[in-house]
Amino acid sequence: MSEVIETLQFVYAPQVVNGLAIGVAVILMALGLTIIFGLLDVINMAHGEFYALGAYLGITLVAKGASFWLCLALVPVVMAAIGYLGERSLIQRVFHSKDRHILTLLLTFGLAIIAEDAFKLVYGPNPYKPESPIPGASELLGITLPNYRLFLIVAGAAIIVAVWLAVYRTSLGAMVRAAAFDSQMASSLGVPVEKVYAGTFAFGVALAGLSGVLLAPIYSVFPTMGKDFILLAFSVVIVGGMGSIKGAVIAGLVLTQVQSISSLYISPVWSDPLVFGIMVLFLMVRPQGLAGRLGHG
Amino acid sequence: MAELAVLRTAVEAGERTVIGGQHLLAGSFVALALVFAAIAGATGDTFFFRLATEALIFAGLALSVDLLLGYTGLLSLGQALFFGFGAYVSGLVLKHVAPSFWAAVGITLAATLVVGLVAGIIAIRARGVYFALITFGLAQVAFKVVFNSRGIGGSDGIIGIPQIKVEFGLFAVDAQSPAGFFLVTLAFMMLLYGTCAYLMHTPFGRMLMAIRTNESRVPFLGFSPWRAKLAAFVIAAVVAALSGSLYPMLRGLVSPELLAFQTSGNAVIMVVIGGVGTLVGALYGSVVLTVLKSVIGTFTEHHLIIIGGLFMLSVIFFPKGLAGYARPRLERWLARRTERA
Amino acid sequence: MSEAELLRVDHLAISFGALQAVSDLSFSARQGHITSVIGPNGAGKSTLFNLVSGALKPQRGRVSFAGADVTGWPTHRLLEAGLSRSFQITNLFFELSVFENLRLAAQVLEPAGRALLPAARSTVARDRAEELLEDFGLSAKATGLAGHRSHGEQRRLEIAMALACRPKLLLLDEPTQGMSHGDTQDTALMIKGLAGALTILLIEHDIGVVMNLSDHVVVMHQGAKLAEGAPKDVRDNAAVQKAYLGGVH
Repeated sequence: MSEVIETLQFVYAPQVVNGLAIGVAVILMALGLTIIFGLLDVINMAHGEFYALGAYLGITLVAKGASFWLCLALVPVVMAAIGYLGERSLIQRVFHSKDRHILTLLLTFGLAIIAEDAFKLVYGPNPYKPESPIPGASELLGITLPNYRLFLIVAGAAIIVAVWLAVYRTSLGAMVRAAAFDSQMASSLGVPVEKVYAGTFAFGVALAGLSGVLLAPIYSVFPTMGKDFILLAFSVVIVGGMGSIKGAVIAGLVLTQVQSISSLYISPVWSDPLVFGIMVLFLMVRPQGLAGRLGHG
Repeated sequence: MAELAVLRTAVEAGERTVIGGQHLLAGSFVALALVFAAIAGATGDTFFFRLATEALIFAGLALSVDLLLGYTGLLSLGQALFFGFGAYVSGLVLKHVAPSFWAAVGITLAATLVVGLVAGIIAIRARGVYFALITFGLAQVAFKVVFNSRGIGGSDGIIGIPQIKVEFGLFAVDAQSPAGFFLVTLAFMMLLYGTCAYLMHTPFGRMLMAIRTNESRVPFLGFSPWRAKLAAFVIAAVVAALSGSLYPMLRGLVSPELLAFQTSGNAVIMVVIGGVGTLVGALYGSVVLTVLKSVIGTFTEHHLIIIGGLFMLSVIFFPKGLAGYARPRLERWLARRTERA
Repeated sequence: MSEAELLRVDHLAISFGALQAVSDLSFSARQGHITSVIGPNGAGKSTLFNLVSGALKPQRGRVSFAGADVTGWPTHRLLEAGLSRSFQITNLFFELSVFENLRLAAQVLEPAGRALLPAARSTVARDRAEELLEDFGLSAKATGLAGHRSHGEQRRLEIAMALACRPKLLLLDEPTQGMSHGDTQDTALMIKGLAGALTILLIEHDIGVVMNLSDHVVVMHQGAKLAEGAPKDVRDNAAVQKAYLGGVH
């Protein structure tokens, strides 16, 4: 019996906590993606690059003397501005064409290519590893856990709750949901649909950037970090259901736990294929994911 | 009845100009390639021949992307999976089985039919954007697996693939000969192109275009869209893999990068720049991209920024691509010629 | 199933979540006859068509066609067996020419191998397309895009496409939807002419057309069958009149 508890304590618990920490950051990134898809019907192939941009902005600010905490506040704001501009100047141009889905996919894909090379150009190909903002570890129920990861879990959960409240409990959120459900109706009711679209995109991008800042101390910052993460983010969105916040949260937790715990048994090379396999299974069997679309749930 | 005869003539004439336009563009491509070969051969060049051969090989990959995107309406972001698969199978055959062109190509063909079918059954279930994500994911996973598999060279890939002679019975072309292999590759690619172009003018090809336009109606025509899409997917996989099979013959090595997203992405860029849904646009697009990369590459290491930018401009302002703009003008010119005749 | 019944549905039922779209529906369509399905909006008529044509799988019940149990058959298989359908909301290949639309619809008449030969060799399909162009008065606009045609022409093309495969049973979903009075009369006349050689199942809102054309009428209401019989009997049925809130319009 005590063996079981010990295993739980020393083998599983750290993995679970690890998974949770990564999970909340992945959820934040997936939330941005799912909100953008749920409302704008746009697949943002560049979402991973926005995540990377957030991380790069973070370390740049830190290098200039800002504290990690200032970054947490500042980076999302900057990212939101970038997202807003990007949506108005690029996505709006192809939004009203018949082949909108493919064109926006191609457009954001082009953006992703440029971004990755731009990172290499400006920051060089080598990874940066920022220091952990909350060093050290604490003991919780006899298990030693890194402080930063504990912080991540708490802060991340708080932000997720805040996002949910913003979307479902504020009048701004109601406008967004109305525009998602029926843009013509919303427009005739006085909702400034184009601004809502741009704003939503900005919001999603800000979440990605925030996620980048949060995960930088754990994963390091390097030019291809966006590409590495995007598959996981898309898997979460698809398994959770495109456009569903609840779905993204559940799927995010489950998939990161799967990744985390499976790393105890199989080589990390196979954890990506495993997550991807789950995503494919869902696409084949239940393409709407665990939940529905933004307009509905 | 006379009205019917007039109608039939009009329809057939219309179809002839479409095919005529396509033949003109394809013919020009071959002509340009031969002119290039003559010049480069006369100057005893090796480097540009190899570059051009590589452009042709990747053109085959772009062709497979256009087959899916331009005709069936499916955007594949992981076509490099089959390209790389073809390259690896071919490389392994050449190195460990027999240094024979036909063996490599033949075994690649057989293997891809199987793999393409399996992948297709998985991917075809999904529509539109989800299909793009599945193909993206499949290729990413394959890339990671290959990258980490010691047995097939891991991150270094397979090197030391023997140089071969391409046997044509009466004569043989040494793969080492830059001009010779360029011509072999040109012939091979035009054969692939020709087969695809032919298929698109059959009822099967028409059905694919119907699927792209309005999939929901197709079952009511008496055809299963699933089966047609699967067939298109497998054909595209074979085209990509056969193109890839020539790669180790040119370079003597294969590496996991051939399966990477960048390879798939490049192919999509080639198709968009060259013209989606034209088939011949894939050929021109590959040449344009290769030229751009080398030219820009001599100035800066970060050519992707410029190419990505050009690509985005193309998507926004020139969605029809080069061939997409040239073709209707060619068709009008041809129509006027036949009217005068 | 009696010899004269080409189509029979038994206790057909399907629900979408809490909505019972079709419940316990049974009727049959006799060979060579025109059977009309009428009912107020939301009665389940289009759902019925979707069930019969393979677009939806019934949760309960059976569909029999030409003596065989075809419940759950996919659409393309039903079409090969001779069951064809037109759509209420025009569902053409708008980006293709009128001629190409019809040729695609007629391709099923060709042997399977022809699909891989040049399109010009599919002469059976081409001839059938030309035939339909004449019959439906679309020859003059044949090379134009289907999407550019007038509403009336598009509705005619809808029906022509459904007929291209020489079906045994034709499902017409509100064929005169949005048509002018003249076009409606012409279409009604054409449909009447088709019956006999062909069996027709018709959804219609124009009661005049229904009374004029039908050999048999099935009235649906809230997913179930309300009444069935000869046109006159159905029109005089009190329950039917109540469902329509005062009858003919």
